[in-house]
Amino acid sequence: MTAAAAGVLAYFLLGTLGVVTGKGRLGGALAIVAGLVSLGLWAPGFPEGLIGDPPWGIPLVGDTIALAFWCFIPLVHAAVWWHERRRPSAFHGLVTLLVGTCLATVLSRDLFNLYVALELGSLLSFLLIGYDPRARAVWGSLQYLILATVGMLLYLFGVALVYGTLGTLSLTRIAELAPDFAHPPLAIGAGLLVAGAAVKAGVFLVGLWLPTAYGEAPTGVATLLAGLVGKMGIVTLARLAESMPVGTVVTALGVLTGFGGLLYALWEKDLKRFLAYHVISQIGYMLMGFGLGGPAFFAATLYTVAHCLFKGLLFQAGGVAVEATGERTIPSLAGRLPRAAAWGLAVGTWAIVGIPPLAGFVSKEYLGIEATTAFSWTFTALALGTTASFSKLIPLFRPGRPGGAWGGIALLAFGVVGFSAWGLARLPGLWAADLWAKALITVVLGYGLFRILSKFRPRLPEVTLDRVAVAILGVSAIIPLTLLAFG
Amino acid sequence: MEGLTAGLMAVALAGLGLWTLVHRRNVIWKLLGLNVASGGSILFLVAVAHRPDGRPPILGLGPGPATDPLPQALVLTAIVIHFATLALSLVYVVFLTERRHTQDVPKLERRRSRR
Repeated sequence: MTAAAAGVLAYFLLGTLGVVTGKGRLGGALAIVAGLVSLGLWAPGFPEGLIGDPPWGIPLVGDTIALAFWCFIPLVHAAVWWHERRRPSAFHGLVTLLVGTCLATVLSRDLFNLYVALELGSLLSFLLIGYDPRARAVWGSLQYLILATVGMLLYLFGVALVYGTLGTLSLTRIAELAPDFAHPPLAIGAGLLVAGAAVKAGVFLVGLWLPTAYGEAPTGVATLLAGLVGKMGIVTLARLAESMPVGTVVTALGVLTGFGGLLYALWEKDLKRFLAYHVISQIGYMLMGFGLGGPAFFAATLYTVAHCLFKGLLFQAGGVAVEATGERTIPSLAGRLPRAAAWGLAVGTWAIVGIPPLAGFVSKEYLGIEATTAFSWTFTALALGTTASFSKLIPLFRPGRPGGAWGGIALLAFGVVGFSAWGLARLPGLWAADLWAKALITVVLGYGLFRILSKFRPRLPEVTLDRVAVAILGVSAIIPLTLLAFG
Repeated sequence: MEGLTAGLMAVALAGLGLWTLVHRRNVIWKLLGLNVASGGSILFLVAVAHRPDGRPPILGLGPGPATDPLPQALVLTAIVIHFATLALSLVYVVFLTERRHTQDVPKLERRRSRR
């Protein structure tokens, strides 16, 4: 545990030094090394340890989720570091700090500590999204700020209610107490915790701050947000589902998120917003897995990490394309992409739609194996929609000019391939002919669905700040009431 | 009893703030509402710490039950975070006002196509 805590501390120190002294680039590089050394010392995990004395110490656990994230966080950080290497020092300092909050979040088992880590992460994300002084980026950041703050407010009320009834903030201790929701304050508190974390995680309706924020962020920042920071709310939801009987609610949120995000993604023309709506859709898979629990929990962990890599890759490649051409919409980008961006998008799409043998196939099919039958049909329907939606990227795969910013794309693509190789070698049940056939048929059917859907042009309700705020308040009433009624 | 009163007041404060957030169009008003609601959440944590006839949780203040010190420690952290968030959001509002000459949220959202 000491090694892990020292790794987080090193990240925070180097990040702060980078912001203050002007050596942010060097600090970022050193932090990546420190993170890897720390991981090498504490892998393959450690039992619960306390920072501070019992009963008030902050519990840290090095479990599978923590290990999985720590393995890939340095890679994503390195990709961002390389792509944004010409930025000023303060930028790199802020990125290092942000990655540090992610390292801390995945270790923590304390409700309030999670709150602090999430809020610190949000604050740094707001700064980085609005780093380039463009009015649209600043507005994206400000609306994210307002909505995330509302979410974390609800979370704080939840913390107070849970602490008031159970007298502890440690999630491990809460799991030992095995709370039931016959006691109304506890049910309301747990519901508010889930609602608050859902806003941060980007669950459909309450998390619709995400497309503008991710779509307007600078390339490296968008990679970091989509790859890492966005997963922190999901990790919090997973921790809540581990220690309290809220799994069913999380699964229901997952189904809603999967299809809701897909609905908006299907007809989106702006490349980066399209990718952001797909982040929402893929969050559905993760929440379904985490909510179901049992063997699906581990599969969802793998899916989350794989998604870090291929979504990071897609955002990196999309950002490179937008930077190189100055265009944002998919039709106007077609045939004009630099080779690096075209290849990056192609590999990312290959991975995300689940064509064997890349990461998306490995992690989605493994989740399908571990989930119950009813849900594996939901997964198939989602996979079909994802393929249909991603089919509109096909014109972008033909490069229009050589070159492009290779570094970050190559690193992330290497991560995707590495994950796929590991998964195929180590996960049971993936070498089945019917799985491969099913995946390929899904892709073909998905392309057919794309040809049909492209004939329609429905008008979806516009997403505005006020509507999302009302949705957050509504959800924060519905979830506690559901827990009260059925918990 | 005081604890319950404080808790109810905290919920009322949060409700008031969130209503302002949803109802007003001006972004400054929205942020003010958000800040009032944050105040509500802080008061709620303090109300949770309340014990009947409790003394302040300071060593050496004599015998008798003390209020719970932990939520009060949490409140300090939460206040700092809320302060930092509000400060950053106001910087952004100043920037947007200079660039777009409006603080009206629907207008800020509508002219999305222009840089």
